Amino acid sequence: MSTPIAAAGLGFAGHELARASLDQCLKCTICETQCPVARVTDLYPGPKFIGPQAERFRHGQSVDHSLDYCSSCGTCTLVCPQGVQIAEMISQGRAVMKAGHMPLRDKLISQTVLMGKAMTPVAPLANAALGIKPLRVVVEATFGIHRNAPMPHAQSQSFEAWFKKHRPARTTEATRGKVVFFHGCAGNYFEVATSKYAVEVLEHLGYEVLVPSHGCCGLAQQSNGLFDGATHDVLKLCDDLRSAGKGLTIVSASGSCTGMLKHEAHEIMGVKDERLADVGSRIVDIMEFLWTLHQAGELPEFAPINLSVPYHAPCQLKGQRMGMPALDVLGLIPGLTVRESGQPCCGIAGTYGLKKEKYAVAQAVGKPVFDHMLKDNPGFGLCDTETCRWQIGKSTGLRMEHPIYLVHQALGLSPVSTAA
Amino acid sequence: MSRTVSSATVVIGAGLAGLTSAIALAKAGQDVTLITKGLGGLTLSQGSIDIWGRTGAGLVTDPAQAVADAPAGHPYAVAGADAVRAGAEALCGWLDGWFEGDLHHTRLVPTAVGAWRPTCLVPAGHTVQPAAGQRWVVVGPRRMKDIQPELIAGNLARTPLPDGGFVRARGVGIDIAARAHEVDSSGVAYARALDEPSFRATFAEAVKAVVHEGEIVALPAILGLNDPEAFADLSKRIGHPLCEIVTPPPSVPGMRLDQALRAYAQQAGVRIVLGAAVLSATTDGDRVVSVDADTAGHVTTYAADAFVLAAGGFESGALEYDSTGTLSETIFGLPVTRAPGAPVVADYWADQPLFEAGLSVDASMRPLGQAGKPVCTNLHAAGGVIGGAVRWREKSGEGIALGTAWAAATAIEEATK
Amino acid sequence: MRKLSAEVVVIGGGATGVGVARDAAMRGYSTILVERADLAQGTTGRFHGLLHSGGRYVVSDPESATECAEENAIVSRIHADAVERTGGLFVCAPGDDPGFADKFLAGASAQKVPAQEITLSEALRREPRLNPGITRAIEVQDGTVDGWRMVWGAAESAKAHGATVLTYHDVTAIQVEDGHTQAVFCHNRKTGEDVTIDCGFVVNAAGPWAGHVAAMAGCHDVEVVPGRGIMVAMNHRLVNTVINRCIYPSDGDILVPVHTVCIIGTTDHPADDPDHLEIPADEVQQMLSAGEVLIPGFRQSRAVHAWAGARPLVKDHRVSASDTRHMSRGMAILDHDARDGVKGMVTIAGGKLTTYRLMAKNTVDLVSEQLGDNRPCTTDQEPVPTATSGINYTITHRLADREAERPTGPLGQQTPNDLGHQVVCECELVSRGMLVDTIAAHPDAQFDDWRRLLRIGMGPCQGGFCALRTTGIAVERKAMDAAAATALMRLFIAHRWIGLWPILFGAQVRQTVLDSWIFSGLLDLDSVPVPAVPPAFTPPGEAAAAKTATATDKEVAR
Repeated sequence: MSTPIAAAGLGFAGHELARASLDQCLKCTICETQCPVARVTDLYPGPKFIGPQAERFRHGQSVDHSLDYCSSCGTCTLVCPQGVQIAEMISQGRAVMKAGHMPLRDKLISQTVLMGKAMTPVAPLANAALGIKPLRVVVEATFGIHRNAPMPHAQSQSFEAWFKKHRPARTTEATRGKVVFFHGCAGNYFEVATSKYAVEVLEHLGYEVLVPSHGCCGLAQQSNGLFDGATHDVLKLCDDLRSAGKGLTIVSASGSCTGMLKHEAHEIMGVKDERLADVGSRIVDIMEFLWTLHQAGELPEFAPINLSVPYHAPCQLKGQRMGMPALDVLGLIPGLTVRESGQPCCGIAGTYGLKKEKYAVAQAVGKPVFDHMLKDNPGFGLCDTETCRWQIGKSTGLRMEHPIYLVHQALGLSPVSTAA
Repeated sequence: MSRTVSSATVVIGAGLAGLTSAIALAKAGQDVTLITKGLGGLTLSQGSIDIWGRTGAGLVTDPAQAVADAPAGHPYAVAGADAVRAGAEALCGWLDGWFEGDLHHTRLVPTAVGAWRPTCLVPAGHTVQPAAGQRWVVVGPRRMKDIQPELIAGNLARTPLPDGGFVRARGVGIDIAARAHEVDSSGVAYARALDEPSFRATFAEAVKAVVHEGEIVALPAILGLNDPEAFADLSKRIGHPLCEIVTPPPSVPGMRLDQALRAYAQQAGVRIVLGAAVLSATTDGDRVVSVDADTAGHVTTYAADAFVLAAGGFESGALEYDSTGTLSETIFGLPVTRAPGAPVVADYWADQPLFEAGLSVDASMRPLGQAGKPVCTNLHAAGGVIGGAVRWREKSGEGIALGTAWAAATAIEEATK
Repeated sequence: MRKLSAEVVVIGGGATGVGVARDAAMRGYSTILVERADLAQGTTGRFHGLLHSGGRYVVSDPESATECAEENAIVSRIHADAVERTGGLFVCAPGDDPGFADKFLAGASAQKVPAQEITLSEALRREPRLNPGITRAIEVQDGTVDGWRMVWGAAESAKAHGATVLTYHDVTAIQVEDGHTQAVFCHNRKTGEDVTIDCGFVVNAAGPWAGHVAAMAGCHDVEVVPGRGIMVAMNHRLVNTVINRCIYPSDGDILVPVHTVCIIGTTDHPADDPDHLEIPADEVQQMLSAGEVLIPGFRQSRAVHAWAGARPLVKDHRVSASDTRHMSRGMAILDHDARDGVKGMVTIAGGKLTTYRLMAKNTVDLVSEQLGDNRPCTTDQEPVPTATSGINYTITHRLADREAERPTGPLGQQTPNDLGHQVVCECELVSRGMLVDTIAAHPDAQFDDWRRLLRIGMGPCQGGFCALRTTGIAVERKAMDAAAATALMRLFIAHRWIGLWPILFGAQVRQTVLDSWIFSGLLDLDSVPVPAVPPAFTPPGEAAAAKTATATDKEVAR
């Protein structure tokens, strides 16, 4: 008697981590009430149903296809008072369901590096192409990517290319030693400005910033149930990051990829590898890093910024269980008011909101976030994660920035924003 | 890799006890970090404030008096009636206009099994007090399985009121979908739908169609989640006195209260770290120095001058009884007091000694060790982790949470003066 | 007074009795079965769910092994809906004698029990939670069987062949005249009506209660010693195949995945009274420790419920030791003509669920011989009515059923407004449609009967969320009024507690406290006045247990 899970190469942590945690479920319904997808559609039976409940009925196959409406935002796991790894269980159920019959679309949108590499040298053309409605209609029909789904804006120079050429504009020596900067795919190809701000802030604070050439963390593949490819990518990334030196702190401005390295690769895919454990324990979100510096009395005074700015803390950042460090750090800037959305998710959840059949759900999930951003803003809004910024930006027409944007200003590295 | 975050006070737990102590300290100017593994039990509660509803002798009609008369060893006796009153008053001040009632009077609220449940402070305007001879109609959407109108009406009509009288009651199901084709909608799905004025109009018409002249209308507690105008609007549209029925989880009134109080806490400056389990504590002599919490990828150390353990009782895992018969408090390893003898007995309806187990505390809510002395000078407890009461039987959960949280916060404030 | 008549009256609605009724009916005898409670409520519903491959007996009881292997194949076919073909493993745990596996393989080969040694890595690949310290692993064809479902299937088959089944009927007397059974007197416990069944033959299949029934016919000293064994169900399947210790049969040596749970069993201690079976704390500890040997971390897993069953072991000194036809292999058929001079009565006791059909065949062979017509047995030929599809049970089927009823599923699109698609019991995925149909089909049943039929309330929350819904739906469907329904809801909760408090630790403490918050804290169920529960709704054993329960606060009381 063979178990199809194991046969498909997926006989991983399901038996140890997430599945075992179903014993902690008391059916209390807290996850159900907080799930942003269940809130907006009855197509999804909800995290309690599809997670710990359905898991008791699973053996080697996932017969409940409605589980694919889970966006993997992780809110259920975050709010569960009992420690049930609901989102992880569902992700594993999805991987089992999709093993062997993955739609081409899911493979395509999860290949972030390929997309970035293909688009960078021809950025103006690519941006124009993604803006052409008829072309997007064809893409939707062929690949199932919704015609209005947010797409990244290609840059003509990658971050790595910029970094190789740049020289720290420092006034003091790098007295604080070395840190590694992790830019991720989006931070390399699309969100180049955010990566630059981050590096300049770190250098200004007295760090020598190292950027070993590195690739994708595999998150998009993971969230689409492609565990083999994702495992390969995340371990390759660990090797890349480890090549910069032993024991160095790795600082990231890419919220979701940080989560993949910190816990998701291990908790969802069951990757047990010392390279991952090493990198996962060393990588920190840049706002988390700055807040710790402040706590140690090592952050200089910030210059005032007299603004009230809307902010959304992304699901994948909250899932790292560190609170909202961006709020803490931005709270140190005199004159600045930052208003958090209080919402679980903007709807994009990585690649979920790109898909034709999920697009409307994702837009409905994000609507309260969009409304929050539009209500009172100085011409831009804040969010820590790239795909969320694309989603919110596309749906609101608002320019979206990483919180480091304002830290960069408050340290005098760029002109201070004023109310629009 | 460990990272350290410092605050004046760290509160563990996001239920009513945790939020109350965190807000009280933040309002007093402290830098407060609240760490919680998940959302608190407040979201599952009935959304009213119980003080003391029942004893073995029956219904309590004056909760404040019952608190004052609490037997030795009961959390109320340790925290004191003043702390309970101060905690309740503070809550009513923070959420101005949210509650009605006073601590000297019990109010009765219908429940989904058809009991008249005693409570004390109720969401203003959301209840009608029963009186003998009244005519009630219980109306529930058939697509909400946790509300069964015939059962509720049948039991409400046969359960005597405090004066020995009875209401008359009938139950009617209505067919109205919260969403498109959904036949299995939670109360929360209805509540969200009822946040929309257009659905309220449809819903009100369906209710009006089955209600008779002069009837009090009991509806499940689903009348709006985020729109504070929903209840008043439905009242106006239906044109009868409305009363919300307590439902099993998910509980919309509990969610309303939880949302409001968490938002208030954040406004008051409380830093909330959600999803992080506190794993262990570091002590130095008789002081707790810090606790370690499970952040993704690494442990974060939260250092503080004072700590409040408000992580709940057995239901949340703060107290544990394991397969070898060991009873423990799971974060600090504090001594747990329990009655001698068998922890549970064969008669379901009898008192189960295990469920009265919990921490013993001093008047500053500091957990006591073997010698009757505080284990740590700066560690305080609040809410369900404290033993000596079966809160669900007594209907005393919120009162104990408020009283002990207030006493703990007051002691911390005084210690830092 | 109601008068009925039949050629054969079967007393006892467990697997054996129902099997006998089916067999007799299929041979064309007019047959009535009488059961004091619901079908399969005694020993049949209180075991671990293992459908033996025979492996367990290849060394200790070779003939039983062959019988099990043969019956396993038959039962898997005729009761396909009740049987899951999980497969099984016999493993040598650390410390077990690996040499026993050689005896095992030799015995299996000799007794024609299919068995094959597999590599340890293959065993651990199939069952990742298995103790990695095992030293040998042998694959066998164990299955798991839902005893209730099997018995109902057999009862449906019996009815289809003309038999009558009377549940909740106490046998009050057996009339014997001129040395021959004449009639069986019964009392309907629900309606209070007395029933007389004139008959030509009585089959006593009352299991642990068989001595009591035999005495009614003047056949004394039929000594049935109930052998009490406890079982502990864990909240989810830690394994998906049956795991057996490869040792001489002992306590706590099998772990059986049945439905959504897995069950560790069992113990064996003589009991005085099958209506008072305790679940002693030390035996619970013994099971947990035994589980830990097979599955590291077993103790940290969640125990969800425990129960005790009574094996009916016959010690009968009046049967000659040479009468091997009727006394071998754990099953005992007592011919009361030969033994007591009472014609028209046999007692069947002992045996195991896997071989229930064979026991029934042997019994009815004797009945048929004594009735003088030697009609042949055909029970292995025909699937029971609930199993005609021939498709075996799979763990995923309810998940697939509920998925099909989703608003967007194929059924949902056809009938988007079908209230029957509500999920009433979320732990065991019981729909409102399933419940309503069951209420309609069993109008005089009580909640525990519906539970056995549907598994409602048998999952992790043990009724915490579904008890209220079930109560309300029963009132809404006019099966009973609010007072009676509330009384039954309270009874249901108290009955769940019987199997909960002996294993109340870990996550199940949390669940019980949350359930208490719901029942008492939120709903204030304690305060709703309830009428006395009609005695008929409390099975004899449970009524007795409930009476003693309040007086006993020792951990070892039932």
